[in-house]
Amino acid sequence: MAEFAAVSGAGDLGEGEMRAFDVRGTKIAVANVGGAFHAFDDTCTHMACSLAEGDLEETTVICPCHGSEFDVTSGAVLQGPAREPVETYETRVEGGNLEIKG
Amino acid sequence: MSGTFVIVGAGLAGGGAAATLRQEGFDGRVVLIGAEPQPPYERPPLSKEYLRGESPFEQALFQPLDFYGENGIDTRFGVRVTRVDAVDKVVELDDGERVSYDALFIATGGRNRRIPIPGIDLEGIYGLRTVADSDRIRAEISPGRKAVVVGMGFIGSEVAASLRQSGVEVAVVDRNTVPLRRVLGEEVGRVVEEIHRDHGTELIFEDKVAAFEGAERVERITTQRGHRIECDFVVVGLGVEPVTDMLAGTGVEIDNGVVVDEYCRTGVEGIYAAGDVANHYHPVFKRHIRVEHWQNALKQGPAAARNMLGENEPYDEIPWFWSDQYEHNLQYVGFHTEWDELVVRGSTEERSFVAFYRKDGRVLAAVAINRGRDLRRSIPLIKTQEEIATVKLCDLDVDLRTLTGAASLR
Repeated sequence: MAEFAAVSGAGDLGEGEMRAFDVRGTKIAVANVGGAFHAFDDTCTHMACSLAEGDLEETTVICPCHGSEFDVTSGAVLQGPAREPVETYETRVEGGNLEIKG
Repeated sequence: MSGTFVIVGAGLAGGGAAATLRQEGFDGRVVLIGAEPQPPYERPPLSKEYLRGESPFEQALFQPLDFYGENGIDTRFGVRVTRVDAVDKVVELDDGERVSYDALFIATGGRNRRIPIPGIDLEGIYGLRTVADSDRIRAEISPGRKAVVVGMGFIGSEVAASLRQSGVEVAVVDRNTVPLRRVLGEEVGRVVEEIHRDHGTELIFEDKVAAFEGAERVERITTQRGHRIECDFVVVGLGVEPVTDMLAGTGVEIDNGVVVDEYCRTGVEGIYAAGDVANHYHPVFKRHIRVEHWQNALKQGPAAARNMLGENEPYDEIPWFWSDQYEHNLQYVGFHTEWDELVVRGSTEERSFVAFYRKDGRVLAAVAINRGRDLRRSIPLIKTQEEIATVKLCDLDVDLRTLTGAASLR
């Protein structure tokens, strides 16, 4: 059973910002889109670049290396070269801290 | 709309055009003809992860195998179009079949340029364009063998890196002073040179192959300046020429490929072209450009197909490509053949920079090494062709997205 884990510092992300965090040994990116937090695997499914090093445009994250685009709300590929979606994680805010289930 | 649309060339542009015709609701006949036996696939992995054996061919397929049948796309793979008769509107195939068309889409791409060097026909000398080429090179790879790579353009540079990463000893020969000089210039080429040097590649510049020597197979090369390099195999990457032979006599203008307007139309009614073969009038650069890269094939094919259906939308994507070499990610966006100023943002020593190619104060193109985010943010600078102060381009604290349009006035 997956548990929620606190991600220290993620709650401070401003709107339109994203950053990668180490959550139990996995690099997970957190994006703040209009006040809602979306968490997804930071590692691009194409060639393993860090997605948080790319750009966030509304709910789309763009890989900095090869331009693959993913929907941060679902992990779906919106534009190749990536073929496989990225994993997404449930988030919640508890006592001002962001928590990720996974 | 009905009738028969024939697509000649089943690479990414041709495959994308076929898929787009169906997505847009075209219910006539679509015939997709390709010289290679495989259905459309992506070529970028062929010099990189596929060549190194890290990814299967299936991952490079443009669409699943059953896509074409399921979408009513009539395919002829492994068949070449020998001639187009633009009067009777018929294409002739090398297996004798004749296919009539109402509209014709040319996406034949390119073929490797063959340079008449003595010994070029010896066994063990390869070009790289197709998956079959990549397979032949792959079969030669094993640690400790020795390869010569001729030409340090993008293909040569990527192959040299992949071979080294696979444990092959590599020597390269290039007529310029640094790799990629023709496209990227001396300063950026020097950075690429150092990357290859760091990985133990023997680099021979300002020299050309004089001869390939060996009994049946290539055993060594000699160069015009007297180098003599023993080797087990050779990869030649000296550029590509567009495949346009079948259009002879049609009235379609051929000049560095198939000349098309901003809508991807040739001067002959009902004949279109896209991808590597198309010399396309680009509305941003206000000139014809021919682009031999993945994104152009991926996007221009569908754009041209929509125009075949009457959409009349100029194709104005800014060309972009990447070239991964070792652990480094190189990207280029824009189009330039000459420049009067190179503005560097970041550090070439640290291999983290974007370099802007400017002419008359305007950014025509940018290249980045390990700075992909900034490269993507440079696209509006190229699109708008606004003059931007050098100090702002270079300032790492300035977000490039704020330098164009209304954002630049804030």
